Amino acid sequence: MTLRFVVLLVLACLLAGFRACVGPQADGQGNIVFGVALPTLETMPYRLHAIAGAGAVGLLLALSGLALQALLRNPLASPFTLGVSSGASFGVACVLALAATTGLSAQAFGGEFGGALAGAALSLTLVWMLAKRASGRDAVALALAGVVLGGVMSSAAMLLEQVVPRGLRGDLLAWMAGRIPELPAVSSLLALWSIGIVAMLLLWRFAHVLDLLMLDDDEAAAAGVRLVPTRVGLFIIGGVLAAAAVAFAGPIGFVGLVAPHAARLFVSHRHALLVPATALCGVIVLLGADLLRQALDVGTGRLPVGVITALAGGPFFLWLLSRSRRGGSEWNL
Amino acid sequence: MEPLMTFRGVSMSFFGHSMRGMALESVDAVFVQGRTTAIVGANASGKSTMLRLAAGVIRPTEGAVVWSRAQRATSRAFVPQRSALAADFTARETVSLGTAAKEAPAARVDAALEAVGLLSRGHVRYHSMSGGEQQRVRVARALAQVEHADGSALLLDEPFSSLDPAEVARLVEALRAFTGAGGSVILSLHDAGLAREVAQAAIALRQGRVLASGGADEVLAPASLRAVYAHEMLEATERARWLRPRL
Repeated sequence: MTLRFVVLLVLACLLAGFRACVGPQADGQGNIVFGVALPTLETMPYRLHAIAGAGAVGLLLALSGLALQALLRNPLASPFTLGVSSGASFGVACVLALAATTGLSAQAFGGEFGGALAGAALSLTLVWMLAKRASGRDAVALALAGVVLGGVMSSAAMLLEQVVPRGLRGDLLAWMAGRIPELPAVSSLLALWSIGIVAMLLLWRFAHVLDLLMLDDDEAAAAGVRLVPTRVGLFIIGGVLAAAAVAFAGPIGFVGLVAPHAARLFVSHRHALLVPATALCGVIVLLGADLLRQALDVGTGRLPVGVITALAGGPFFLWLLSRSRRGGSEWNL
Repeated sequence: MEPLMTFRGVSMSFFGHSMRGMALESVDAVFVQGRTTAIVGANASGKSTMLRLAAGVIRPTEGAVVWSRAQRATSRAFVPQRSALAADFTARETVSLGTAAKEAPAARVDAALEAVGLLSRGHVRYHSMSGGEQQRVRVARALAQVEHADGSALLLDEPFSSLDPAEVARLVEALRAFTGAGGSVILSLHDAGLAREVAQAAIALRQGRVLASGGADEVLAPASLRAVYAHEMLEATERARWLRPRL
């Protein structure tokens, strides 16, 4: 088991190392070109920021997915498939639109993170109510509701986008596709990593309770699990992590779905191992997607990373969906 | 004969205090320590509700469920009738889940798997097991959850429902060993014959009311059972009469 963690850790480091050698650079004649070369003093800060940013977003989305899957006992749950990410982007779009129409700064309306948090909470509450009505039994129905909710929220964000001035509109569009900022502030990187690590430690600390939560509600309650506080905790963790990731990088899809399943497949279903493994897998998935993005030349610069994760993760979601009619086996890939 | 747990005037409605759709109505019952008590009755007679109340996962609308003071909450384990496991644990991992406070130690997990005859199948994934095996794994989980048999209680809702005869015999044996070591078992059964086999005491329910309670022999005697199932039998006859001319 230790070996498997070492493999994951080495893989994450290798990807980070590769990423440090790939990206835009000066070609000596004052042009910016994409290429593979050891980082120079000029390119190093960009590369390090990109690695730290991608890693943090991967960590947050993966752990958010794990928390939501445990909360709803649903293998199809993730911030993106439940519409939480789209809700968060709707929240951010609201804040930006308010700022644009009133002429005040975005901070006056709680900032992008505040908007994302409110939007994520709104989506998660709606999905949670739907899940309770369906008594949480039908995984597919809930995922369907989540996907539709996500579509509505994204469209609402697009509608608001028409309100903001032209200059900001392009940024918002690219951000809606899921894009890791080129040179993020060190303070936001630190904040993201702190949130991610605190959440990971919390989930890991209660790994044993999460295991029991996988049982029937009655069984878990009789074994001493306090269902309501545990679920509220997971709700908050899942929402905050998704909101932080979306406020920073936009709604990047499917990382929160793929990473926990990859960790289950590769390491274990027991949460004591699953939590750290999911965190590592999240970092790996997003670093990998970011690396792939740098390698793909479509003639007009680089694709947003969200396009890559959706192209790779979407089919995985469909495959998972096709399995989930066989009661229970969807947890076993 | 120490009482293990008492139902005092327990009423349960899932619609709040409106007396509509009462699942249990003024139930008084005493469960004795170190015995197997069977709760029998037709479907929807309130058996599962009684077990869920005993397990403390729902609270009564009226009345109280009182456990003996010597009995600790940690020494009670509940196995509902239907249960979905939302993770693909192996049988062993499932049995070792224990309580929210801590995992069950390996020795206890081995003993529990042995008791239900699944020690050699511990590495098998829960979801690739047969229905009967899954049910045995869940009983084993309950066995491993309680620390010692002595002074603890197993609450089992229809524990034999997906077992084949050989598995039933083995589980009956395991439950006897558990009560033999001082544990108490409360189980719900719709099969009165099986109840006579396993239980020393019995409570017969009909439409949420206690019809008879006491020693298994008297409660489960054919004459008394007729009353327990009379309503359903009458209904079946009615249905047959209604259907006959239409067939």
